[in-house]
Amino acid sequence: MIEINNINKAFTNGITALKNFSLTVQRKEVVVIIGPSGSGKSTLLKCLNGLEEIDEGSIVIDGIPLDHQKKNRLEIRKEVGMVFQSFNLFPHMTVMENINLAQMVVRKKSAAQAQETTMELLTKVDIASKAGSYPAQLSGGQQQRVAIARALAMMPKVMLFDEATSALDPEMIGEVLDVMKNLAKEGMTMIVVTHEMGFAKEAGDRIVFMADGEIVEQGTSEKFFNNPEKERTKQFLSQIF
Amino acid sequence: MKKKLIKINVLDVLIILAVLAMGSWFVFRINTALDYQWNWSIIPQYMFRFDAEHGWVPNMLMQGFFMTIKLSIWSTILAVILGTTMGLCKISGSLYKRLISNSYVEIIRNVPPLVLVFIFYFFIGDQIMTVLGVGDTVRSFSDTTKFWINIFFAPAPQFPEFLSAVITLGLYEGAYITEIIRSGIESIEKGQWEASYALGLSKSQQMIHVVLPQAVQRILPPLAGQFISIIKDSAIVSVISIQELTFQGMELMAATFLTFEIWITITALYFFLTFFCSLAAGWIENRYRESGYLA
Ligand SMILES: Nc1ncnc2c1ncn2[C@@H]1O[C@H](COP(=O)(O)OP(=O)(O)OP(=O)(O)O)[C@@H](O)[C@H]1O
Ligand SMILES: [Mg+2]
Repeated sequence: MIEINNINKAFTNGITALKNFSLTVQRKEVVVIIGPSGSGKSTLLKCLNGLEEIDEGSIVIDGIPLDHQKKNRLEIRKEVGMVFQSFNLFPHMTVMENINLAQMVVRKKSAAQAQETTMELLTKVDIASKAGSYPAQLSGGQQQRVAIARALAMMPKVMLFDEATSALDPEMIGEVLDVMKNLAKEGMTMIVVTHEMGFAKEAGDRIVFMADGEIVEQGTSEKFFNNPEKERTKQFLSQIF
Repeated sequence: MKKKLIKINVLDVLIILAVLAMGSWFVFRINTALDYQWNWSIIPQYMFRFDAEHGWVPNMLMQGFFMTIKLSIWSTILAVILGTTMGLCKISGSLYKRLISNSYVEIIRNVPPLVLVFIFYFFIGDQIMTVLGVGDTVRSFSDTTKFWINIFFAPAPQFPEFLSAVITLGLYEGAYITEIIRSGIESIEKGQWEASYALGLSKSQQMIHVVLPQAVQRILPPLAGQFISIIKDSAIVSVISIQELTFQGMELMAATFLTFEIWITITALYFFLTFFCSLAAGWIENRYRESGYLA
């Protein structure tokens, strides 16, 4: 589903965020990426939908290469949904309008069709009663669930989560993780960057541990957490548990 | 909204007294040292006069007042169009567009406006307008068309001058509006661009649906301030004989020598206009905020 081949990414300030990075994700697989701050996790996700340009290597998603053809890039953006740490809802639009927007503008659906999908998705993330509210009137957890619904409205084949719960108060983390777990159960292909080890153990098919733009170690969640091989991994795990 | 209690302290009283003293001294000096003969009664007739055919019609001062308003509105429209285009060019990825907009802003901001007025007047007014035959075209219009031109722009014979004044002011103020638009757009968080990009919106769709609507709210207050500047700056085109408020004031002064009455009246008229605009801007801003999403 996702083939990342030897990509390199350096910023103009000289920082190398990704070094010869390769990763293959199967259809319906949930890959959880963990790693210390600055290890390149966000950069990796941004490269996957073209928000950041890679310097070398190749990325192919569902058979479509992420190259310089506009058509391919747009196709990939439609197929890859992204959820951000800071929600990034559009503050001048209601919840309904937030979710309708891309359906109408990009998928060219009619307002009625878009609304129908939107209401289904809002019901799914358990927030249908807030369709007419503005983002500022919602709690962080509610906002993030709306953001997930907004990404899902494009009917993506892959979902990327970049620390989706890091900006939330502890009591709201659960409701967002539940939505993500359900999505995983339904068979969505997901790459999840998170510090929530509970989620990683429960929903992750594979754990990838990154440091300094490289994969240090990866494995099934059971093996990764119980029998880590590398010293660096053990050190990291001992820090967070 | 809660009404704030107005407290007056000693300093306030002192300031008010000082202002009153200054005013009285000013009038006293004019009366004694200049031996000035005040004649306020003559002013109203220069605002409105009675015409046997049409009844009460605006006279010189009011004509100038309306000319200033029309000039300001058209210049603002032009300046906003220009400023928006150039503002968008400024943040564009294309080096060529950035070069154009940067040159525009730098040139305008580094030349005295009075010099610009003359350059544009002789270049646009004398050359371009003549080449395009604007004057002849307007002259050939029917009387009804001329009537409407007079209502919305200027009397038909002065139309070319009016147009070059509007272009001059529009170009001048457009440079400032460029900066207002640019900083408004740049104030929108990166995450808004990223989220709409990730949803598949094209660059222009991101701009139209997500960034601009939010930027407008931040742009509106400084834009209203700029409109007030345009009203005041429009006085400068009096040097190219546009019959706006300041020009009419000078004409009238030359004819009546009522220096103080006329300039006090003109000051009051400008103040009335700009103060009214400030109030309107404040009201619009409040409305926008209340209706808006900043719950
Ligand atoms: N736009 C940018 N310009 C320059 N350097 C950047 C940029 N974005 C990220 N970096 C640098 O690239 C490296 C990787 O950053 P990245 O945000 O991918 O890390 P991360 O693993 O997501 O960290 P965190 O857990 O703090 O979110 C860091 O050293 C960061 O400072
Ligand atoms: Mg990050």
